[in-house]
Amino acid sequence: MANQTPAVVMDNGTGFSKLGFAGNDSPSFVFPTAIATKGPAAGSGGSGSGRPAVANKPSFLTGGAGPTGHLSTKRGTEDLDFFIGDEAINAASGPGYGLHYPIRHGQIENWDHMERFWSNSIFKYLRVEPEDHYFLLTEPPLNPPENRENTAEIFFESFNCAGLYIAVQAVLALAASWTSSKVTDRSLTGTVIDSGDGVTHVIPVAEGYVIGSSIKSIPIAGRDITYFVQSLLRDRGEPDSSLKTAQEIKEEYCYVCPDIVKEFARFDRDRSRFMKHVVTQPGGRQVTVDVGYERFLAPEIFFNPEIYSSDFLTPLPVVVDGVIQSSPIDVRRGLYKNIVLSGGSTLYKDFGRRLQRDIKQLVDDRIRASEVRSGGAKSGGLEVQVITHKRQRHGPWFGGSLLGQTPEFRSYCHTKAEYQEYGPGIVRRFALLGGPGGS
Amino acid sequence: MLLLDYQNVLIQSVLTERFSGAPPVSIDQTVSDFDGVIFHISTPETKTKIMVSIQIRCFKDLVRYGAEEVLNREYGPYVVPPEPGYDFSIVVDLESLPTDKEARDELVKKISLLKRNAMAAPFEQAYEEHYRLKQEASKFTSEEAPQGVREGGEVKAIHYREEEAIYVKASHDRVTVIFSTVFREETDRVFGKVFIQEFVDARRRAIQNAPQVLFRNDPPLELQGVPGVKNTGTGEIGYVTFGRWTYLRCGRACVLRGTVLFTRHLTPQRMPDVISHIQTFRDYFHYHIKASKAYIHSRMRRRTADFLQVLRRARPDHEEKERKTASGRTFKVGS
Repeated sequence: MANQTPAVVMDNGTGFSKLGFAGNDSPSFVFPTAIATKGPAAGSGGSGSGRPAVANKPSFLTGGAGPTGHLSTKRGTEDLDFFIGDEAINAASGPGYGLHYPIRHGQIENWDHMERFWSNSIFKYLRVEPEDHYFLLTEPPLNPPENRENTAEIFFESFNCAGLYIAVQAVLALAASWTSSKVTDRSLTGTVIDSGDGVTHVIPVAEGYVIGSSIKSIPIAGRDITYFVQSLLRDRGEPDSSLKTAQEIKEEYCYVCPDIVKEFARFDRDRSRFMKHVVTQPGGRQVTVDVGYERFLAPEIFFNPEIYSSDFLTPLPVVVDGVIQSSPIDVRRGLYKNIVLSGGSTLYKDFGRRLQRDIKQLVDDRIRASEVRSGGAKSGGLEVQVITHKRQRHGPWFGGSLLGQTPEFRSYCHTKAEYQEYGPGIVRRFALLGGPGGS
Repeated sequence: MLLLDYQNVLIQSVLTERFSGAPPVSIDQTVSDFDGVIFHISTPETKTKIMVSIQIRCFKDLVRYGAEEVLNREYGPYVVPPEPGYDFSIVVDLESLPTDKEARDELVKKISLLKRNAMAAPFEQAYEEHYRLKQEASKFTSEEAPQGVREGGEVKAIHYREEEAIYVKASHDRVTVIFSTVFREETDRVFGKVFIQEFVDARRRAIQNAPQVLFRNDPPLELQGVPGVKNTGTGEIGYVTFGRWTYLRCGRACVLRGTVLFTRHLTPQRMPDVISHIQTFRDYFHYHIKASKAYIHSRMRRRTADFLQVLRRARPDHEEKERKTASGRTFKVGS
């Protein structure tokens, strides 16, 4: 592989983009999927809808003097005047720049911004010539094929990249779980629980294909846990209850307990379980915040949503069970056996163990009930296994890195020549990477 | 972003983080850079010893033109025998770092410029050769100068990519840098031509002291007799010649969407900058071709949205439709 350039793996999520090279164990860059351009922020106008806000009269009728400051009316170098990632956040805090998030709910909404975001991430951060590298991109489940085509157009026509593979995040998350010692066969069947900042998805995958009709999403994710911690801090009247403090407490102290009532009792018996968190406020003043029951209460909202939300009341284990029950019957066993966690909000200690216990309970109850109803027949039981592994945080990226470094990866990609032969429609289908017949 | 950085951002960020006193962790990262350069950052022995290795396609060429001296000068105490599969390695021990912050930042900067420094050797050599030739030439008038002085030094070829090369030639009154570029893509070739034409015209138009730039599809005269230069005649390969900078060669080329800007810096201290600029020329050139395409795409999207808007407007608000009931009676809907 001396002369082969490593493939570039890019996982552009709603909140953060993960960029790096295949074969590495962690992404080289993780920064917000944000772009700061000259002009006002997206929130005010219609540009948030993805389409450029259309003027009252089309711009070619008004002689380019439409009310919007769209790029197409500019003739200078305005299109190069932008920042991405952390630099964008910094630039937007000053005057003159507006912050935009080109991806919403996992899907690319603003292609103008995304194209420039990519060009900057390739040339400034990764420093590669797209002609020399193969690219592995990710997409959310249920991404419309038109979006894939648009992506391919940009990568092949603007960047002339050597080859392109677009993989579904959930499938890559499954591949990432192969590093766990619990996984013995490298199958691409399993249930992925992907919990990021904004939303939690439960996605069943059968032999590398997402069962689209059974996907469920839960409106409880990392941000909600932070808000919940914050509200607990506010209720107690702690000296500092900013969102940042709440997030630090969430990341540093929270864990999942097996039984909430016993945990309360244990806290009352053992005072050493209460922690102190020191916050340095802007200005240099240090204050101490007590950390109490929220240590186990915060992640508990996945399992007992009623303590946080009043409109979403189904616990995560029930959702997972429901998703698997609504999938085709012949893959259910595989789905129960391989429940893979992915995303930052699944990193709490014992999260996997609790989930496994709760799902197991649901399954066993159902089996017992049907045994009673059948009048004496015995079931062989059903294996439920939740897999926790070290690469959970950037699961999809790591899976991409793992698959991207395999020698046969390049043969799975569509190349520029193929694209030119068939047109953008070619990216609607990809051979299944890492599937049967693969590695 | 108009200009590309010279240093590798990733190496810089990794080392800055490591040097800031964070607890040592093991690193094993392969990093790519332009022109097929591959870096490998690792901690092979202990977590405190960070090894940075580089693999360059044209390292043999570079060694011939004195790359080792330049690298030893820059990284003297850190140089170690190269890691297998790589061309050059340095090791930094976290326990014996410079104590003050500025010196550390300096070191980080230096390491992240590894590629630049490795590639700088032939250019530096050309500069020295030029100074020497200039001295010699000052002894003669232009007519009676011996052949060697007038002709200048040999052509240094750096085959930094598979099909592309940089040629550097020093003579008593100039240093000439020639890039051969290949465009695989028809569209890119057109864009590239426009760009280079702007470079060529820059001097004629506005900026008097810009270095002369020539662009042609057949190998320029300077390259006659250099092995490996083929005249394909298909126009796929272009040759961009920078040079004939009479005094102290300048650099700093900025393409501003077709406006070429050359600033002259009249001090020889600008040499390192010039070398950096010249090195990123190709990447920068390709980056701007891509950026222009992105710009054109965004205008195309906008125009489509406008047309759709016109179509939407053209549709009558209340369309009259005739409908039939099951029994056969007709009635009108709408208006």
